[in-house]
Amino acid sequence: MGTLLLFSFFVSRRASIILPDYISQPVYSIPFDPNNNDTVQLGRMLFYDNLLSANNEVSCASCHNSYNAFAHTDHDLSHGIYDSIGNRNAPALFNLAWQTSFMWDGAIHHIEAQALAPLHDSRELGSSIEALISKLQSSGFYQTEFFKVYGDSLINSKRVLQSLSAFELSLVSLQSKYDRVNQGKEVFTEQEKQGYLLFQNHCNRCHTEPLFSNFEYLDNGLPIDSILLDYGRFIVTNVEKDKFKFKVPSLRNLSYTFPYMHDGRFDKLRQVLEHYGMIESSQGKRHVDVKSISLTFNEQSDLIAFLLTLNDEAFVFNKEQAFPERLKTELIKD
Amino acid sequence: MFRLAVLLLFLSKIGLSQTTVRFELIHDSLVSVPHRISQTDSLFKLRFYISQIKLIGNKKQPFRPEQEYFLIDFHHDSTTSRLIRFDSLDPKSIRKIEFTLGVDTKTSAGGIGEGVLDPVNGMYWTWQSGYINFKMEGFSDKSPARKNKFQLHLGGFKKPYVSVQTVALPIKQFTADQSVYFDLKKFMNGVNLQKQHTIMSPSKEAVVLTKLAKSCFYVK
Repeated sequence: MGTLLLFSFFVSRRASIILPDYISQPVYSIPFDPNNNDTVQLGRMLFYDNLLSANNEVSCASCHNSYNAFAHTDHDLSHGIYDSIGNRNAPALFNLAWQTSFMWDGAIHHIEAQALAPLHDSRELGSSIEALISKLQSSGFYQTEFFKVYGDSLINSKRVLQSLSAFELSLVSLQSKYDRVNQGKEVFTEQEKQGYLLFQNHCNRCHTEPLFSNFEYLDNGLPIDSILLDYGRFIVTNVEKDKFKFKVPSLRNLSYTFPYMHDGRFDKLRQVLEHYGMIESSQGKRHVDVKSISLTFNEQSDLIAFLLTLNDEAFVFNKEQAFPERLKTELIKD
Repeated sequence: MFRLAVLLLFLSKIGLSQTTVRFELIHDSLVSVPHRISQTDSLFKLRFYISQIKLIGNKKQPFRPEQEYFLIDFHHDSTTSRLIRFDSLDPKSIRKIEFTLGVDTKTSAGGIGEGVLDPVNGMYWTWQSGYINFKMEGFSDKSPARKNKFQLHLGGFKKPYVSVQTVALPIKQFTADQSVYFDLKKFMNGVNLQKQHTIMSPSKEAVVLTKLAKSCFYVK
């Protein structure tokens, strides 16, 4: 009994990340032992620290909550500093190491550069890298933390952004029921099996297994929001054919990441499936990348049952990537 | 005899003394920023990145400086930013100066840089990633933008809008303190501020204007 308790203690600590053999090599190297990696731990503190915003009231975690697979649950569009509402739904953060560009429109080409975008956006953290560095430099706590990681207390953009991205790259979600089935440790129910077949026939081309996205920018036929007027990838590339294109999001952890789509317009998975059931592929000049997928109500239920096997509870409730205790102590001290 | 050899060796080292390449802004005469171009036009910011600079002579290996990237700033306070030092070379042998205007594509495609490449220098885009290779700001009556401002932030390292340019300047008589001039008059005559007044993303215009900037470098 004692050994079992001890064993389960070690399992729940989940000391290191192991990639199953059906997963391709990531683009970025993953810090496989995040709990013992000082860079990751520094990044984790920065991620949760309100110091990143101009008024010290919001952090990355305000819109990317660990308990929601690092998405902003129940918010169609995210709100940042001074209750400003942004243009898009905060994307969930996991399995970023396999992606070659970031954001809904792919505006960011390298993970180290990513944090600069929300940091400088007047509706998100409303700050700047210069302001952040000077705040960190005047904090004895962070001087010590940077010293621990880098061997001296120099704080510059590279080090700040590198540690933030190390934490983000450590967010690996590959422990869902789907993964356990893939590893022969569990089996699907009849309904999940039916749903899996439907998924393979209709969804896998874009939401490609096993990461459940091909990470491309595609037009899924959503009518444009007349107020947001968000043309997606076109804003970045200025190329006409990129209008209405957004990054294909992963379907892992859907239970935690609602509402769905780039502007969070759907609260329920069934609404998403209904949208895919009535797509008009050709809309004038616009070329939609998805053909209409008509499913019966029961088929929709089967498909949803399968999609729910992609939830990764171990990931979502992993305390090692939640708000760090050390930061809490530091905040109380202030 | 041995002493003589050491002395000769020492003297030959002196012959290969330190050489500098100095970037200068020229508008009829040498100027710095802020600068009044005319009654109606003025310039208050002009900075650009230089990378992969090399001096090519008759030897196979070109001469390169120790530092890889330079942020040339024509602000009157930033004279040292415009000096590039080369160690031990024979100035007389140099026939060509070559450099990349902007941060080379490979470096741009990587992560965040340090030193002159640190985003705190205001030469990195935040809403989308990548370096601003060439930044020019000023006022002109021709610009219809707010306060008649013009802001040319030229960058982009991905196809189809690659704004990185290679500048090659053949040179007859290279000196130990060699100047490379940027002809402001030529640039101002080439830009149409009525239309090209606010450029802040990789675009066709950005490519056109970096090509113009490329053509404005010369040596005497």
